[in-house]
Amino acid sequence: MYINQELCVQCHACIPYCPMKAIEYKEESKRVEINIDECVECEICGNADVCPTGALTMEEMKWPRILRNQFSNPLITHPDTGVPGRGTEEMKTNDVTGRFKRGMVGIAIEMGRPGTGTRFYDVEKVAMAVAKVGVHFEPHNPVTKLMTDNTTGKMKDDVLNEKALSAIVEFDIPIEKTKTVLEQLKTVTPLINTVFSLDLACRLNEDGSNPAVCLAEEAGYKVSVNGKTNVGLGRPLAKEE
Amino acid sequence: MTHTLHRKGDKEGLSNDYIVFAISAQTVNAKGSAPKFKEFGDIVLKYNPVNYGDMKTGNAYNVGVDKVHESYKDNSIVHAVFTEEDIVAKVLKELREADLGLSIVLSGIVEHTSECCHKISIEPHTIEYSLGIHGKTDSLPEDNVVEISTMCGHGMVSFSLIEHFCEEIEKGRITADEVARKLAKQCHCGVFNPTRAAEILRLMTDM
Repeated sequence: MYINQELCVQCHACIPYCPMKAIEYKEESKRVEINIDECVECEICGNADVCPTGALTMEEMKWPRILRNQFSNPLITHPDTGVPGRGTEEMKTNDVTGRFKRGMVGIAIEMGRPGTGTRFYDVEKVAMAVAKVGVHFEPHNPVTKLMTDNTTGKMKDDVLNEKALSAIVEFDIPIEKTKTVLEQLKTVTPLINTVFSLDLACRLNEDGSNPAVCLAEEAGYKVSVNGKTNVGLGRPLAKEE
Repeated sequence: MTHTLHRKGDKEGLSNDYIVFAISAQTVNAKGSAPKFKEFGDIVLKYNPVNYGDMKTGNAYNVGVDKVHESYKDNSIVHAVFTEEDIVAKVLKELREADLGLSIVLSGIVEHTSECCHKISIEPHTIEYSLGIHGKTDSLPEDNVVEISTMCGHGMVSFSLIEHFCEEIEKGRITADEVARKLAKQCHCGVFNPTRAAEILRLMTDM
């Protein structure tokens, strides 16, 4: 995104819309400018329709900068997943896909969320840390697609300094590994320069109980009171193994 | 992923915040599912959700409900936001009877959403829990700002926009309800809860 200075009337209306605070009034130039290194190409400023003259302008992006747009603007259907947004269908369709079977747990580490953004070198740090204890990265996740080695979590060198509004490290593990993986995550947490939101998904037991929550608590994580429930009305239902 | 999860707040603050949404699986039952989303909309809209939207089109506050309701696609994800647990239970009951075949997901306080399922004898299939925010959390603004911002899971409601509008409310230039509607426009999917946002804004600004 850039500001067409011939059109900009210096009203400053766009400034607060930027989640990265990349739109700034520069005293030296006496004009509003976008810090292109911090801009994640989310298009929030442009889509907010607050510019009276249409000065906010998208320009054609090449690899690897295009990643910023693909990860940060949820209005775009991500080319690697076929669904809008930066994630996958995950547990939303688990009743028909059977992706998370009993005995397995899905974990997602959404780097940069909430509202902070992430460089991919921080995404790589976290991916490589959890890979050390053996996880199965979700093959359809767009972060996994940027890895050069799915067993180590190493990512392509040319994407590491790119920045996105958020990016999700997503993987499955056998339930008995839950505590080990969450404890391993704690070792890398102080080394990253952003925040992340963490979640855990699993198929419920036949008696309706949740087999994974206590493991997260044993690993020292506080489980939030709110969550997301797939109520099992999708058809055809996935076969249980 | 998880666009309706990670809504920050305590049990009291989240007690008026529920999302019911429908999705089809691209590899299983998506083909030809657009009319099913229309049926989903016909059901949930009867219960007057405080927001309604589809990732493919927009929401009640930026394009309007009618536009959303005439634009469903096979890869739509359609959301309705409610403020009362009892209404959610009624919506869920109708959705079960309609047997649309779409995956239906319910977000909110798990104790309450489980009770909704229990009331109508639905056995929840899969649950996803938030384990909170970690890392450089000292870079985050005050909790109230985060509570409002996280009502858009894609981060379309920036911290700085909320802080800007709080100043405007305090100066008497705009009301909390008007700000809540403006913020709701930003969250394209329609999962932002303007009723809850207005309550938090009033608390923040003492207005």
